Amino acid sequence: MLTATLNPLMVLSRRRFQLTVRTPRELLVPLVTPLLFALVIAPALKTALHTDTSYEAFVAIGTVGLLVPLNTMFSGLSVIVDREQGAQRELLAAPVPRSLLVLANLLVALAITGLQVAVLIAAAAARGIHFDASTGGVLWFLGATSLLGVGMYGLAEILAAKVPKQEEYIARVPAVAIVPWFLAGSLFPISAMPTALTWVAKFLPLTHALAVMRYGLLGDAAGLHNIWGSVDPAGAAALSLTVTAFFAVALTIASVRIFTRSAVR
Amino acid sequence: MIEVRSLRKTYPGGVEAVRGIDFDVGPGEVFGLLGPNGAGKSTTIGMLTTTIRPTAGTATLDGLDVSRDPLAARRASSVVFQEAVVDRGLTGRRHLDLHARLWGVEQRQATQRIDDVTAALGLGTLIDRMVGSYSGGERRRLELARALVSRPRVLFLDEPTVGLDPLIRHELLDLIAGLKSREELTTLVTTHYLDEAERLCDRLAIMHDGLIVALGTPAELKEQLGRELLELRIDGDAPAALAVLRDRGIARDDAFLVGSTVTVPLNGHASSEVMAAVGELRLATSVISRPPTLDDVYLRLTGGRLAEAA
Repeated sequence: MLTATLNPLMVLSRRRFQLTVRTPRELLVPLVTPLLFALVIAPALKTALHTDTSYEAFVAIGTVGLLVPLNTMFSGLSVIVDREQGAQRELLAAPVPRSLLVLANLLVALAITGLQVAVLIAAAAARGIHFDASTGGVLWFLGATSLLGVGMYGLAEILAAKVPKQEEYIARVPAVAIVPWFLAGSLFPISAMPTALTWVAKFLPLTHALAVMRYGLLGDAAGLHNIWGSVDPAGAAALSLTVTAFFAVALTIASVRIFTRSAVR
Repeated sequence: MIEVRSLRKTYPGGVEAVRGIDFDVGPGEVFGLLGPNGAGKSTTIGMLTTTIRPTAGTATLDGLDVSRDPLAARRASSVVFQEAVVDRGLTGRRHLDLHARLWGVEQRQATQRIDDVTAALGLGTLIDRMVGSYSGGERRRLELARALVSRPRVLFLDEPTVGLDPLIRHELLDLIAGLKSREELTTLVTTHYLDEAERLCDRLAIMHDGLIVALGTPAELKEQLGRELLELRIDGDAPAALAVLRDRGIARDDAFLVGSTVTVPLNGHASSEVMAAVGELRLATSVISRPPTLDDVYLRLTGGRLAEAA
């Protein structure tokens, strides 16, 4: 049973990967803006605002919160390309559960996002930005990044199923990938915003994911404290990771259902 | 091999694309669904390939219910779609391999089958090229090869030659006709090219407005119009001319009109006698006598909608 599911999943993932690497733009474009923020804008802000070096690390992690949504949204675009100009109908006529089509795309989106996050962190480290990561901390970081990626990809699949044309999809990307980034404590703590917006931020999965990422890779629990108050950091991190996991599971289930329904008329 | 019973599809918004159809296709048979655009042919194929959910009725492929056991039904069948359904960024070989793997063909067997269909469909020099560089005819051949790699028991061809130039179309028809020798393969083909249907199909169903309006072998369908008919070109009011012919008992209910042409089955009358009667009325600019074709059957049953669409 497991092999019967895994084999087609791997076949479909390999197809998606081969198609993705043939369009380097899909790999490079989402990386450009976060790299710019991490390596150019954050050091410039540090100098201009006379903050200390930890601000660069704060923003470097914050840019992961931009990179993951941007990359997963770009991956979602390929679903529309498949539907409009690709082999989606052949895949729908294949004797495999249609949920595997979504999960195969998700696997590739996650793999590419992981690679890009690694490039971003490596570039930031090479630029002299210091990360204070233990093994446990890296696990917190990886958990939050992966779950955020899963949830955001689910959102991308849903959007791709609902939106008929590529240009309409692209027009919606800023609202989904960029607006929450400004509110989620990426460039400054959420406590620096007006109270109403702070409350909005507390409900964004991205806020929770970023707080866990900073806790894991910088040992900085301030973001978690801003969300949960005086809960101990590990407990707050577990709570925020649970919120992110709930977001990931809910969006994945919804994306599979919506894809299956929209693919079969 | 294919059993369709009271199959019906109503799309959201109330459009009744298929309004309750029944037909059987026997093992090894090539069965054609003919009809103008919007007749319900592609919707029928969509329901049989489980990409369109039936509103009512049942359909089975090799005994497998497409609604209750869609995975098994899909495993037994392959489709060549009306429009291009390919990944332009992958090679032809990768397409065939992907299909074989998804349909559960063992790797070694898949390699052998890919070589076989590549040779059989003349894809040898193309197979390792990116599909984005293929011409329309080459792409069609690849899609046919892809559908055959899994050795399906049922093959669906949805308007397989639409949009191809005449030479490529005839080459592809030769290839499809060659599939008839595969006794294990049952084929359902939709088309609105009547020559194609007559050449390929053992039996035909003519669809019109979501219903099957005629079903039989090409010869049986043509027999409905007798052995001979008259074709009259009318310069003027063609519907009025047809009415006059009916009033005079020259034409019966099976006479039909497409544009300015009135077609009158002779129903056993001598053509010279009827031509003389028509000549006296001075209605037609030309009158010819000929045996019926499948086009006549089709145009009579579909009310000339194809001609109007063209």
